[in-house]
Amino acid sequence: MELVSLVRLEGVAKHVLLPDDTRLDILRGIDLEIAAGDHVAIVGRSGSGKSTLLNLMGMLDAPSEGSVAFRGEPVRRMRKARLDRLRGRNVGFVFQQFNLLAGRTALENVMMPLGYARGRDFWTRRTAATRMLERVGLGHRIESTPEQLSGGEQQRVAIARALVRRPALILADEPTGALDVETGASVMSLLDEIASEADAALVTITHDLNVAARARRHYRLDAGVLTAFALDVPANAAAADASGLAASVEEGTATSGDADPEPRRAEPGPDGTEPKHAKADPIEVAS
Amino acid sequence: MSGLVGALGEAWSEIRHHKLRVLLSLIGIAVSVGAITAVVALSEYQQQQMTEQSDRFGGRPATIQFMANSTDGAPMDWEAFGAHVDRVAERYEFSHFTRIVDPVMLPLQTPEQVRQVSTRLVDPAYPVIHRTPLLEGRWFTEADAELASPPVVITEALWEVYGSPALGTGFALQIQGDVGGSYTVVGVTPREYIGDEDKHVTMLYGDYTARRGILPPDMGVMWEAWVPEDMAADIGPALAADLRAGLDGVDVMVSRTDWASRPDQAQYAQTFELVTGGIAGLVLLLGGLGLVNIQLVAMRQRIREIGVRRSFGATGSRIFSSVMLESVVATAVAGVVGIAIAVAILKAPFVLDMFQGMQDIPPFPMRAAVIGLIAAVAIGALAGFIPALVAVRSNVIDALRF
Repeated sequence: MELVSLVRLEGVAKHVLLPDDTRLDILRGIDLEIAAGDHVAIVGRSGSGKSTLLNLMGMLDAPSEGSVAFRGEPVRRMRKARLDRLRGRNVGFVFQQFNLLAGRTALENVMMPLGYARGRDFWTRRTAATRMLERVGLGHRIESTPEQLSGGEQQRVAIARALVRRPALILADEPTGALDVETGASVMSLLDEIASEADAALVTITHDLNVAARARRHYRLDAGVLTAFALDVPANAAAADASGLAASVEEGTATSGDADPEPRRAEPGPDGTEPKHAKADPIEVAS
Repeated sequence: MSGLVGALGEAWSEIRHHKLRVLLSLIGIAVSVGAITAVVALSEYQQQQMTEQSDRFGGRPATIQFMANSTDGAPMDWEAFGAHVDRVAERYEFSHFTRIVDPVMLPLQTPEQVRQVSTRLVDPAYPVIHRTPLLEGRWFTEADAELASPPVVITEALWEVYGSPALGTGFALQIQGDVGGSYTVVGVTPREYIGDEDKHVTMLYGDYTARRGILPPDMGVMWEAWVPEDMAADIGPALAADLRAGLDGVDVMVSRTDWASRPDQAQYAQTFELVTGGIAGLVLLLGGLGLVNIQLVAMRQRIREIGVRRSFGATGSRIFSSVMLESVVATAVAGVVGIAIAVAILKAPFVLDMFQGMQDIPPFPMRAAVIGLIAAVAIGALAGFIPALVAVRSNVIDALRF
């Protein structure tokens, strides 16, 4: 069965002009296709252009070269307001620093995206937001402000906010970056779970290979160039530190562990198409 | 619909969230809106007071007055001229028409002595035309003609000579001389200013002539008609021509006496409103500048929030209208507070003391409230425009990274 392409980046490059008139290439020749229900991880060092790539996929930014298409429609030709609405309807963001609205309750934060919806979604936003908060296990904290929530709880609120409009694409930028390993793992399982429930494509940007390992496809971004790589994390690799894992990514090789011989990524389909979404076994990150 | 409701809801939630900032930024707006509203209202009070005062002297707009005297200095035959006036007036069908003789000196028996009091002879239309206020009792009615004891209205100072007795309990003046008899007091007019000791009687012209016969020829009679203001310019010359027609040896003078015929007073009121309103407007503008300033700083702090909202589907126009509405809703609230302050000021006893003797205290003028609210909303829109523009132009990517 042919996969429905959600976002397609073709030959995308992004560069900016520095004050001294030199050109800084952030991204070069990126080709990437995200299908509905896909789960992709992009790893790379700080400053490698991960966030820029995420912004391009989320239609927050326009490429300098190449094209970005959402559901086959080139984004470049769309009017700004339409693009904003398209993004609001189809894309959910999860940020490293949560980016919850300070002073506003969890419920208000989760209701916020629905405030930009129309019709029924708009008028029933309170119920939908409450239900979503209950889904992430915060039904008892809906009146709490971010200041009264722990980091893990804040990220759960952020996940509820990203998913409340049932987007087709969730873009998570270092979602566990501000959390400890254990909390990060539970937040990631929740994100995975809800994304699969909603059949939403999940793109995670991370430098944590444990987080990356949850995805079915893995890419490495280095100096603006995106390359696919196979990643396998052994189930008992909980103690493996990020630097060690990062080193293996640098080499661009797939690592395999003794304890878990099954690779975590799905194999390409027989006809060469991208793999269909299949729920991956969760990787135990914490021991 | 959902867009507007959403933007309004967002603006209101922002205001609630930033209560202190909003409160501080709006003090100036509330005070200046209060000032503008109060100035407009006070100016209306002042105009009302001036109008009432000048109505008392010159009649309401438009009052046409005419008098006559003989060209050769011979005594006027008031009966003949009066009949001529009645014939002319009949054609004009004046709704309010009065004869005035002022003053006629009459000997009055007071508790201590017999004294001469100046008396004004009028028709029942006089207090309407002159908007003469009453402290107690009532003015003349048509039914008064039937009374055996003719009615009179006296001034407060004269009333006090008798110890301010209750009206309607048989309190009557004992007038002596040609028109001597008992005159029932039906009303009392208040003092026109503090220390006003004018002891004056107002009596119906008909009652005087019924007892006296005809008016002494050395007295002057004036006639006044209250006519629609827009027709005064047409009626005046026509009336003058009609009154003069067929008369020999009588000079008739027709003039308009109400304040509206003298633009200087209206101009004075307008100048007062312009100057004080201008000052309040400047204060409002300064308050608006303060608001722009605070909002601009707030925008810098809220840049990340705006970025987050944009990433969740808020369009540029939605962000613009939310920020703009935030200002407008806030200043509208401040405006309502300002108007409430103005109402409180105008209801304060010391303000009403300033306008002593005002007969019809105008209700809180809607014009003032509307002007105040419009000013508040306008300054909100002006003050919200620049921050809204800044908010829309902020780069989402930078905002998220900020």
